[in-house]
This record gives sequence, C-alpha cells and structure tokens, in this order.
Amino acid sequence: MADPNSQNIDLRTTENGFKYHRGSALSIFKSDRREDIVALICALAIALGVYLFIGN
Amino acid sequence: MVYTRKSPALTIIGLILLAHSYLVKNGQLEAVVKYLSLTRAVGEMTQLSLIFGGIALVVGLWHWFADHKEGDLDYYLGSVAGGIFILFVAMIVKWYFDPLVAQLSREIGPVIPGRRFIHDVFGLNYVVLGIVLGMVIVNVFKIPEWAQHGVRLSRLGLKTGVILLGTLYSFRELVHLGQLSVVMIGVFVLGSVWLVLLIGARRKIPNSMGGVLSAGVGVCGVSAAVAAAPVVQAKSEEIAYTIGTILVFGVICMFLFPVVGHLLGMGYVQFGAWAGTGILNSAQVAGAALAFQPNGIETLKVAEIFNITRVLFLPIIVLWLAVWYVKRETEAGATNLVQVDTGKVIIEKFPVFVLGFIAMFLLSSTGVFAPAQHYQGRYFDNTNVSGSRLLNDAELTTLRTESAKLQRDDQKAALGRLIDNKKVMSIADSDVLRGIVSARTLAGPANAAITKANGAVFHTAKMIAAFRDWLTWLFAFGLTGLGMQITIAAMRQAGGEPLVIGSAVGVAKAVLSLIVVVMLVRETI
Repeated sequence: MADPNSQNIDLRTTENGFKYHRGSALSIFKSDRREDIVALICALAIALGVYLFIGN
Repeated sequence: MVYTRKSPALTIIGLILLAHSYLVKNGQLEAVVKYLSLTRAVGEMTQLSLIFGGIALVVGLWHWFADHKEGDLDYYLGSVAGGIFILFVAMIVKWYFDPLVAQLSREIGPVIPGRRFIHDVFGLNYVVLGIVLGMVIVNVFKIPEWAQHGVRLSRLGLKTGVILLGTLYSFRELVHLGQLSVVMIGVFVLGSVWLVLLIGARRKIPNSMGGVLSAGVGVCGVSAAVAAAPVVQAKSEEIAYTIGTILVFGVICMFLFPVVGHLLGMGYVQFGAWAGTGILNSAQVAGAALAFQPNGIETLKVAEIFNITRVLFLPIIVLWLAVWYVKRETEAGATNLVQVDTGKVIIEKFPVFVLGFIAMFLLSSTGVFAPAQHYQGRYFDNTNVSGSRLLNDAELTTLRTESAKLQRDDQKAALGRLIDNKKVMSIADSDVLRGIVSARTLAGPANAAITKANGAVFHTAKMIAAFRDWLTWLFAFGLTGLGMQITIAAMRQAGGEPLVIGSAVGVAKAVLSLIVVVMLVRETI
C-alpha cells in the first residue's frame, strides 16, 4: 500500500477489479481521518441546529 | 471517472417522499397509521418525508438532466443518490415494515410464557430488519448502479451518531462506565491480540496476516484492520480475508447476541457491556445494542462507551504490532523494514471521531443542552411545580399514616420534607424516596404518591430528546447501509486459516466476556 493513510482496499477486488478510484468499498473518503473530520463537522452542525431551533 | 448517473431514480424517490408527506399530513393514510399504531410518528413521517423528498427532487433533477464532469462536485453530489436510497429503505423499514411485523407477531399471540411474542424473542425490530433488508438487496437484487457510490456513506452516519451520543451522557454515568470499561476492554483487547498472534505463529501464517487479523479481532474490526495494515505491510488480500472474517463473525454475533441477552434476562448495562466487549466490529456493536433495546438508547450508550474505550486502544495496539512485526521479520532475516516512529504512529492512528465524542460530552457537561446534572436526559427542577402536580390532602394524609413504617432516619427525614413542602426538595431526597418505593415498605397508595411527587420535579430536556431522535435515524441509516455492504462474496473471502483463528478467538472473547459480565457487572449506573 503506497499511501499509509489510504483505505485502498476493496472487498470485491478479486472478482471485479477496483470499482472506485477514490475512497474504498466502505467509504467515499480517502482516509479514516478525513471521514472522522467530516463526521465531526456533521455532528457539530446537527448540535448547532438543535441548539438554535429546539432550545430548552 | 464520473460517478453521477443520469437516472430518473432519485427524482422518483423525491416525488414518492413528497407524496407520502402530503398523504400522511392530510390523513389519507389514517387507516394504515391506526392499524400499525403509528400515531406518535405522524409528525416525524410528515416532516422527514418533506425535507428529504425536497432534497431528493432537487438533486435528482440535477443528476438526471445536468452534464456531469469528473471532479469534486460530481463525486460528492453524486453520492446523494445512494444516501437517499439508504434513507428511503430505512424509512420503509422503520415506519411500515417493523410495525407490520410487530402487529402480525402480536396477532399470532405469545409464543413463550411471560407474554413474549415472536418479534420480541427474535429481536425483529427496525435495526435487525434494516440490516437484513440491506443484505437481501445487495445479495439478491444488487444495489442499483445509480446508488452504489453513495451507499458508502453509511459509515459516516454511524460515526456522526457516535459523536452525537456524547451529548447524552452525564458525568456520573461516564465516570462509572469508564472505569468499568477500561478494565474489561484492557483485558479483552490485549488478550485477544496476544492470542491471535500466538495461534498465528503456531499455525505458521505470515506475520503480516497475523498482525492485521489480531488488530481486527482484538480492537474494533474493520477500521482497526485497515489502520494496522500499513505497519505490518499487509497485502490487500490479507486485509480482505480479515474483513471477511470479521464480517462473518460480526453478522452472526449481531443476530445472536440479542437473543442470548433476552434469554438470559440481561439488563441494559450488562448487555451493553457484553456487546461492547464481545462483538468484533464497531458497527455491529451498535446494531446488537439497538436490536436488544430498539425503543430506547440506554443499552446503546453503555455499549458505545465500551466500544469507544477499545477504539482508544487502537494506537497502542498499532504501536505494539509495529514493534512486534519488525522484531519477527528481523528474526526471520528480512532487510527491507521501515523504522517505527512511535510518536508518528500514535498521532496518525488516533481516531478523531473519539475526540469528537469527548468534545460533545464536554460541551454537554457545560449545561448548554440540558442542565449539567441531567441523568439520561432528565433533570431535577422543583421551582415551577404546578398546583395540580403538588401532593393533595388525601395523599399527604396517606403518607403521614404510612411514615410510621419507616425505620431509617434518612428515609423519615426525606419523607418528612416531602410532606411539609408537598413536593420533592432535592435530588438526594428523590434518591432516598425512590429507594422507599423500590423496597415496597409502604402501601400501594403511598408509593403512588411518592412516584407522582418524583415525576413532578424531573423534566425531560427538549434538546436531549431531539438528539435521541437524530441518533435513532443516524444509526438506522448507518446500519441499513451496513447491511448493503455485507456481500456473500466478501464473506467467502474469509475462508481458511484466518476464519479458523479469528472465529476461535472471537468465540473465546464472546463467551469469556459473557461470563465476566454476568458475574461482575451490576445493573446500575
């Protein structure tokens, strides 16, 4: 694996060859780290939305 | 490569959702809503269908009619089709399929003593049904080509859910569960990794195979295997074998654990601790916890604390494997090995979403979403108790008469303050009074009065309730999408040594953790 952060694996590699040139069979993101950061941004956006629109 | 498909499918899903929203709002589906007992979900069905129907319609029209060129816009907006496809399936399951199965199960009647129905015994709820339907779609019908790219968004949904879960913990819960989980997870993670490496060496599998398998089986499944792969120089097929093993074992555990948990009468804390320790893959921990308790998230909270604890072990395990691999290969005479940079490994492999979970917990602890002393989303406030919720004269008379039965001074004092003020005066008093009710020292009417008084001073935080709803949907989305990624072809790749070693260690871990949990974990937080 050339890039140590890459998830350049595909469960279907042996059957069909690589299907995606970015991400992996499990994620559209290049690395776990990038997916984590996007998840964090999504969670913060939801939390902000709940805070602004629901309130106590 | 262009990812967006010129297909009317997403537009059609958008129109179906918008029509669904209209029909539910205007009562045209009232007979179905009544039959499936969906009255409480009507608001959610109307709003979510409207919002996501609108998104699907707009993006769908773009997919259908625009000219697509390779690039970020095509890559990320092209994934919306798959995301909406997962959500659409999850909505069908949660709103219609799950209630229909429950209704039919109730019509058949109880199958075992204690009024347990088929869907209770087998845990047939929206989580299990969503995963099963996802597996059926991918293996029998195949994921439609226009949705394949976006189906890979499911893990993002699960990670977002885990981060948001941080808002629901109180400090008290986290301290208790944290201590428990560190001890249990520490023993089982380190033990599993060691056992896989030992058996792998005995059975003479390549060091790279043993290394990646030990991380997958010992820590948190697929992510751990992927994280450890570079440091043990694992080949793609070795990673695929490991993932296949984890998927085979994880799928079996996900369906089996809740059934065993119910049969053994396990509580939420016990089952959460067991699932968080014994199930190999993170995603399937959430699946099993929600399958065990579909209408609440107490089990999920416990399971995820255990899961997060083991994810925190990932950098340590990766470091261990790096050192182990270099040592083993050097002994075998290898010369092309890369030196291990300890600090770099820890920084590179540290899971950021766990930091997100902790950050969300700290944010919640400031009291921004609910009073900081909230417990499971409920908080104490006796300042604005309405007249009707104060104890009335008849209830006070009952309590005065019954108070003579109490022996303990703290119980007498707490009950005295309740009688004097007609309401519960503190959290400490509330705890003591709940203890009186649990012990059934007093007569039924007196217990009912105390329960009423306790109910009047505890309030559910609206924002915490909103987070619970978000979590339910994020996990429904993530787990239905997970089902769509479990292919028979992927599971077949597990064959041979990795499956034997992984399964042997997995079974040992599941059984030993069950014994430890049943013996040592108490049903209290």
